[in-house]
Amino acid sequence: MREITYSEALREAIYQSMKSDDKVIMIGEEIGQGYAGVFGVSKGLYDEFGPKRIIDTPIAENTIMGAAIGTSLLGFKPIVEIMFSDFISVCFDGVLNQAAKVRFMTGGQYNLNLVVRLPGGEGSGTGPQHSQSLESLFMTIPGLLIANPSNAYDAKGLLATAIDAGDPVLFFEHKKLYKTKADVPQEPYKIEFGKAKTVREGSDITIVALSYMVSVALAAAAELKDKYGIDAEVIDPRTLVPLDIDKIATSVKKTSRLAVLEETYMRGGIGSEIGSIICQKYMDALDCPINKIASKNVPIPMPPSLCNEVIPDEDRVVQEIRGMF
Amino acid sequence: MNFNQDLFLTFFEKMYLIRRFEQKVYEFAERGLVFGSTHLEVGEEATAVGTLLNINKEDYLIATHRGHGQELLKGTDVKNMMAEMIGKDAGVCGGRVGSMHVADASVNNLGAQGIIGASFPISVGVGLALNLLGDKEKILISFFGDGASNQGNFYESLNMAELWKVPVFFVCVNNQYGMGTAYCSTCNIEIHKKASLFNIKSDYEDGNDVEKVYHKSKELIDYVRTKRLPALLELKTYRTIGHSAFDKHPYRTKEEIEDWKKKDPIKRIEATLTSNGVPLDTIDDIKKKVEAQIQDAADFAIKSEYPAYTDALEQ
Ligand SMILES: Cc1ncc(C[n+]2csc(CCOP(=O)(O)OP(=O)(O)O)c2C)c(N)n1
Ligand SMILES: [Mg+2]
Repeated sequence: MREITYSEALREAIYQSMKSDDKVIMIGEEIGQGYAGVFGVSKGLYDEFGPKRIIDTPIAENTIMGAAIGTSLLGFKPIVEIMFSDFISVCFDGVLNQAAKVRFMTGGQYNLNLVVRLPGGEGSGTGPQHSQSLESLFMTIPGLLIANPSNAYDAKGLLATAIDAGDPVLFFEHKKLYKTKADVPQEPYKIEFGKAKTVREGSDITIVALSYMVSVALAAAAELKDKYGIDAEVIDPRTLVPLDIDKIATSVKKTSRLAVLEETYMRGGIGSEIGSIICQKYMDALDCPINKIASKNVPIPMPPSLCNEVIPDEDRVVQEIRGMF
Repeated sequence: MNFNQDLFLTFFEKMYLIRRFEQKVYEFAERGLVFGSTHLEVGEEATAVGTLLNINKEDYLIATHRGHGQELLKGTDVKNMMAEMIGKDAGVCGGRVGSMHVADASVNNLGAQGIIGASFPISVGVGLALNLLGDKEKILISFFGDGASNQGNFYESLNMAELWKVPVFFVCVNNQYGMGTAYCSTCNIEIHKKASLFNIKSDYEDGNDVEKVYHKSKELIDYVRTKRLPALLELKTYRTIGHSAFDKHPYRTKEEIEDWKKKDPIKRIEATLTSNGVPLDTIDDIKKKVEAQIQDAADFAIKSEYPAYTDALEQ
């Protein structure tokens, strides 16, 4: 099969959706002309589809989001690019109070096809306002779907699903993944939301890992096996909302141990949510306390000397997991 | 018009300092010492120098993400600035944040935001605080870019700045682009006119002519300081390099860039100095002095340590 990068896979999903459905449009800063996507995702799309479908905007996230909601109400399927996921703060009202609530507040008369693409995560020194992982912040809000592709294959299939999911999707990408490659079929395909994937089978512990942290979990799992004989199962939820708790629970019943690995802040993180559900329903399956491995409660710093301490890496994961045995 | 040699030599020295600082940061970036991105203001030096030479140490500063010159001119030590650029603990913010977010409480520099437009409401708040404190002397100088003026909070802030009569001097460094997007493709009204709509005293000037920037901003700063009212100055200029260090700026034509290089503010001031009979040796001496300052700062930055993590950083 053909190997392409994560950004190429995203572009292909957008391209194919735009070809087959003329309601799909893109709105954002520097997506058409200029940079053609700061992470290169929309490269070439402006030449192909023109200014009516690849809509460049001034620096105005609030109106970008509002305009996307407006077009969606009239049947378009906008894909918004927020240049760095941190900037979603500027259009938080549209996300939280309008987009998320349209279906409920109109009694289902209206619903939105609307994707908000959010490049997130630490990206070699981008600092406190350009490096955050904010998934957990949005996970609390009913009405939003949340996708977190960890590789190029998932990126294409999840984005294709997101574009006409029928509800707004926050689509969290990761800066460190854009150049990573995977086998990706040329033909269009969709990946159903709420279906987690077991990316490594194991019998001793379940590690639920998200986005870029999937690769960190896999590296740690290899080391745990080689050096310490610990056989970890790694599960990638792929979408946080809806969350495939059944798959996680099935794995925990087999391994009796659970660690949740994420780049979001520790406090109120994804580990807190998954951990509490597992405790509430499957306490009996656990042999030891659940371990939350997340970024420390510190704004993401710039220099590696600090980042490496704040954000989980392979060494920390290995150490944390060993501590559970 | 009589020629104030000392003033012009100061213009030259300060602009040259910014230029060399930025070139050193670029060199560091090429060597992989700068983490993340860095936004340099090569070509825009006259905007920081012409305005900030009229600003007192006690006045407040809010700089932009492209603010090294603004921050240096406010008085931050070149060494601590340089160390911050490469994330060293001797940096003015402890090396935690780097190029984009320099704050320095010792010179009333309140910090630069990486969220475009975030500085406007904060600026109104600083002005409000000065009013609440009954301060009749200090003002805030708040820089922003052309692209930032399209954010909604710009308009909210203009309205409230005028409504609350805050002593804030807004300076727009209009380098005509926000990243790869020309201002003229994002808005059909000039930036100083946006402020006029809110009855804020506003003006514009050639941002590559340091003398003009100096005089125009002196007039407006006097107005803000004495009348305790906001004012806005739009300075038209150009960054002759990319948006961030490694941006090859393909979105602009070679001709456009070359045209603006001819209007380089430092070349212009050098020409003014020599045509007024300032000996080349005097100019060279300044260059050498600045060069030594930059080299010292670079050595200091390189020798400093990276910050060490402590649990005290947790919040
Ligand atoms: C809210 C927000 N949106 C987008 C960006 C990305 N961004 C960084 S600098 C920049 C351009 C800003 O243009 P301008 O205000 O003209 O300043 P300049 O870079 O030209 O000095 C953009 C869009 C950002 N940092 N924050
Ligand atoms: Mg600009």
